[in-house]
Amino acid sequence: MSTTALDTSVRPEDRFISAFEVNHGEALNGTNASISKQRTDAIERFAELGIPTNNLEAWKYTDISSVIDRPYTLPLAPERPSLDTDDIAPFLIDDLDAHRVVLINGRVDEVLSDIGDLPDGVVVSSLAQAGSTHPDVVEEHYGKYADFEDEALTALNTAFVQDGAFVYVPSGTVVEKPIFFLHLTATEQDLLLQPRHLFVAEDGAIARIVEAQHSLSDAQTFTNTVSESFVGEKANLEHYLIQDQGPSASQVHTRAAQQKDDSVYTTISATFTGEVVRNNVTIEADGSFCESNFYGLVVGKDDMHVDNHTFMGHVQPDCSSNELYKHVLNDESTGVFNGKVFVSRGSQRIDAYQQNDTLVLTKDAEIYTKPELEIYADDVVCSHGATTGQIDEESLFYLRSRGLSKRRARILMLQAFAQEVIDEIQLDSLEEHVAERVRTRFSSYFA
Amino acid sequence: MALLEIKNLHVGVEDEDIKILNGVDLTLDTGDLHAIMGPNGSGKSTLAAVLAGREEYEVLDGEILYDGEDLLELEPEERAEAGVFLAFQYPVELPGVSMTNFLKEAVNSVREARGQDELGSADFLQYMRERADMMGLNADLTKRSVNEGFSGGEKKRNEIFQLAMLEPKLAILDETDSGLDIDALKNVADGVNKLRSEDRGFLIITHYQRILDYIVPDHVHVMLDGKIVRTGDKDLALELEEHGYDWVREEAAAAA
Amino acid sequence: MSTSETEYLKGKASEEYKHGWYTDIESEKAPRGLSEDIVRYISKRKDEPEWLTEWRLKAYRYFKQLIDSGHYPDWAHLDYERPDFENMRYFAAPNGQAQYESLDDVPDEILETFERLGIPLEEQKALTGVAVDAVMDSVSVATTFKEKLREKGVIFKSFGEAAKDHPELVRQHLGSVVPYTDNLYAALNSAVFSDGSFVYVPEGVTCPMELSTYFRINEAGTGQFERTLIVAEPGAYVSYLEGCTAPMRKENQLHAAVVELIAHEDSEIKYSTIQNWYPGDEDGNGGIYNLVTKRGICKGDNSKISWTQLETGSAVTQKYPSVILAGDNSVGEFYSVAFTKGHQQADTGTKMQHIGKNTKSTIISKGISADVADNSYRGLVKVSANADGARNFSQCDSMLLGPDCGAHTYPYIESNNPTAQIEHEATTSKVGDDQMFYCHQRGLGEEEALKLIVNGFCQEVLQELPMEFAVEAKELLDIELEGSVG
Repeated sequence: MSTTALDTSVRPEDRFISAFEVNHGEALNGTNASISKQRTDAIERFAELGIPTNNLEAWKYTDISSVIDRPYTLPLAPERPSLDTDDIAPFLIDDLDAHRVVLINGRVDEVLSDIGDLPDGVVVSSLAQAGSTHPDVVEEHYGKYADFEDEALTALNTAFVQDGAFVYVPSGTVVEKPIFFLHLTATEQDLLLQPRHLFVAEDGAIARIVEAQHSLSDAQTFTNTVSESFVGEKANLEHYLIQDQGPSASQVHTRAAQQKDDSVYTTISATFTGEVVRNNVTIEADGSFCESNFYGLVVGKDDMHVDNHTFMGHVQPDCSSNELYKHVLNDESTGVFNGKVFVSRGSQRIDAYQQNDTLVLTKDAEIYTKPELEIYADDVVCSHGATTGQIDEESLFYLRSRGLSKRRARILMLQAFAQEVIDEIQLDSLEEHVAERVRTRFSSYFA
Repeated sequence: MALLEIKNLHVGVEDEDIKILNGVDLTLDTGDLHAIMGPNGSGKSTLAAVLAGREEYEVLDGEILYDGEDLLELEPEERAEAGVFLAFQYPVELPGVSMTNFLKEAVNSVREARGQDELGSADFLQYMRERADMMGLNADLTKRSVNEGFSGGEKKRNEIFQLAMLEPKLAILDETDSGLDIDALKNVADGVNKLRSEDRGFLIITHYQRILDYIVPDHVHVMLDGKIVRTGDKDLALELEEHGYDWVREEAAAAA
Repeated sequence: MSTSETEYLKGKASEEYKHGWYTDIESEKAPRGLSEDIVRYISKRKDEPEWLTEWRLKAYRYFKQLIDSGHYPDWAHLDYERPDFENMRYFAAPNGQAQYESLDDVPDEILETFERLGIPLEEQKALTGVAVDAVMDSVSVATTFKEKLREKGVIFKSFGEAAKDHPELVRQHLGSVVPYTDNLYAALNSAVFSDGSFVYVPEGVTCPMELSTYFRINEAGTGQFERTLIVAEPGAYVSYLEGCTAPMRKENQLHAAVVELIAHEDSEIKYSTIQNWYPGDEDGNGGIYNLVTKRGICKGDNSKISWTQLETGSAVTQKYPSVILAGDNSVGEFYSVAFTKGHQQADTGTKMQHIGKNTKSTIISKGISADVADNSYRGLVKVSANADGARNFSQCDSMLLGPDCGAHTYPYIESNNPTAQIEHEATTSKVGDDQMFYCHQRGLGEEEALKLIVNGFCQEVLQELPMEFAVEAKELLDIELEGSVG
């Protein structure tokens, strides 16, 4: 694999800046002009912002700089690790009949992918390929929703972007089967990956995207993903994310979506493993009568650290948003939730709901939660709530008095707690898959 | 051998200097239905809670024998497996826990303890339907989360339905009649009467006599200040209805 | 709304701040600016012991270090120009006198000033059941009912007097809850604090009266930096209230107070504030910058500290009255109504730090915002690993009166204890059309209906105020609401 080892003798920011200078014009070129033209601005902005530290309010509870400050290697040219379908079999979702795309180390693997027949005009491909096949779509949407002005890691991703997933659903088109992206890391080296995805659902389009992240090795990896979604007028996009890369993988995963009039966007993440996982979810409802839904489930174990950082931007009137994040924290795991609902001046008749509930199961688990409302319009109904606590004793007693063991009663209560998020998954096979993973995890808590 | 023998039971609240039961004696034979009546705060519900194994109470003295074994040694779930059932005064809502899931786990854990085979999904659903029919429970309720959004009457009926599902040897009903209108009360009483049998004992705890119009007890006890002060047959309940608890209280005071 | 009604309300709006007048009295002032010499000057004018002068100087050096290294606290949701620390006066004594031996020495102008504010200083005229310490600019003018309180062993006097009469008590507690290193304004206050109140309630004593301090800024170009310290010994109880007003001026004036509360075993301190500093004019000119550090510690088991505040004044308010729940079973409460209108901005809330076992905190915050004002709730609930059985309930509601104001909620919850139970709820909404219609249908006009509904919205908080002040609070809120309709 053509790689650039980061030079750990200099400060982390400079490692990236020099890697950029060394590779600029070579490995990084060959992509679409509208992708490449943002690189220079992005690396400059990254240099100005620097890697976030705990001093920044948005990163108060997650120390990402020490995760980034490790001797990673940047893979810069495509090379296909020798994998076959047996290798990916454990990561497929039972009964999920989908258009399947497999990405290895952030790049689409044509051989392992099985896209099948798509409706007319629908494109499911690699972003690099879309740069040449659909330059107009890329030009119109790429880099428009994931702003790198204030986000150093989005800037870094934008500077180094090479490949990722691409979905284009033209006006009025319905994609019946879900589109499944299986993201695998397969490496013996400690890798730093920066995949970039673009999902476009034009006016009236309907599609469902499922992403699952797994790892085939124990190497230490850091994945800095940016995905952008556009949801046109009256379009409906569901976007699922399963995070399960294993205990030696860390990641910052940015999902930025923009919605137009009468559209529905729903995104749900379920986080099972990861050393440090930071999710940035930004939804801008840039149209009237939008519905935005975001949900998240964290089932913590060992010393994993998961930070869900969300922003709901209501910049047009007559919209609604629902947000629910649930954490179950066992062992020494840490959960962070910081959600902001923003209603701009003049965005009247907004109905926004935000809730974060956490169960802290051990003395060493920690939760930091900060649900925020920032409201500049008066005719709104906005509410948020946060609870942290333990499994309700009264409920446990009720279950035990019906003959369930303490262990079974606890597992059942945890499942019930998680169920509210799982219920929001509209794909049955995926819902069952997540429910099963959650059951297994909870059973392991009280083994 | 009696099904349940309570001997000189003294109970307080853990960590606090409060005594609630002050020497309760009671013997219940299988097939019998006993009613315990008493005013608020007399300790009736505490007795039910101690029988079911609630942890915030501390047994200070005395013993409880169930089938000749020490009941107090058992965890709440072990009591359930041994056939002790408590119909709660305030049934707990369990959002996200489906009735089917909950009852399947409960029924199978009790069956396993009795050396019976676990019921598979199809058999279980069949069994649940039968019991729901028998108890006149709206089948829709079995599709919801346990007690979530149930009305007061539905919750109480759901307790009796669970009694029917779990087929205990000893059923304790803690103020199951409180808060029910007359139709719901009749419905609950019908359920209980259907479930009375030679190999099952009932302990019905109530504040009012009215439920005993529909469920005829073999024995009636009056509890005052944590003690059973009077025992009789079903007529005792009628006397209480007429004269109130003060009458028993005065008598008890005079006897002391 | 009819034009005449609008006109009427506009008229109301411009006359609403009724404490905006100025008392013309000679004042001895420190020169502008801040230096070690100024700090020494203040300390000398107040006839302070050497240790206190040194403490002030240490605080000053810390302040200077922060300023020189560019550490200005600008993280709040507030937009204002930093005070010009070099162009301010840090000491002003009306009538050139730093303290008064008795009421007879107080000039008539000053007595009249307080009388006009509704705070008569002669005991026979005073509100029964309330003892008052009256502070004008940097000087405590008089403290009423001192003798009556002394009978019970309660010490209630100006900070200056206390530093001289009870140096050991003051020295032991000063800065023990809010160290001068706490933040920039705590450092500044510690360096230049003028007067304020000192309260000491001995073991087992329930303070027989409400204690109250009334703060009046009079002089132009000065800041006010009072310091309040309340100590409740085991089993003691005290209820304390502060009120404040200032004249209308074009330029901003700084008020940077520090309040420290210490509650020992089984004691309770109830601290109430009715804050009505001048808020600035309708274009946003002038007004007080109210940047205050208030914190209490529940040191002993079963102790309780309760903060209640009604914040209607000031151009900018930033304060987070907090409780450190160190003792087992201790209780912290925060009840707040913050009303911002015109160009006012407020960023207020609380910090509840659960350290002891079975500690409990309650937070009820009601924010009301009108015109182009911005109102933020910011709070922290922190449960440390050993605080088993900690409980918190927070309810933070915002009400928006008009399309151009802002209401924001920033709660922080940090917990690493599995037995902690924390619940936070917040809502943002406007006065319901159906509520208004219901009131109209019952014959209430626009303004009456609004007053009724807003008062209801705030009721949970207002009922926590001592009875003697509840009426004043309600009136203040009503006045605030006049001109907010539409």
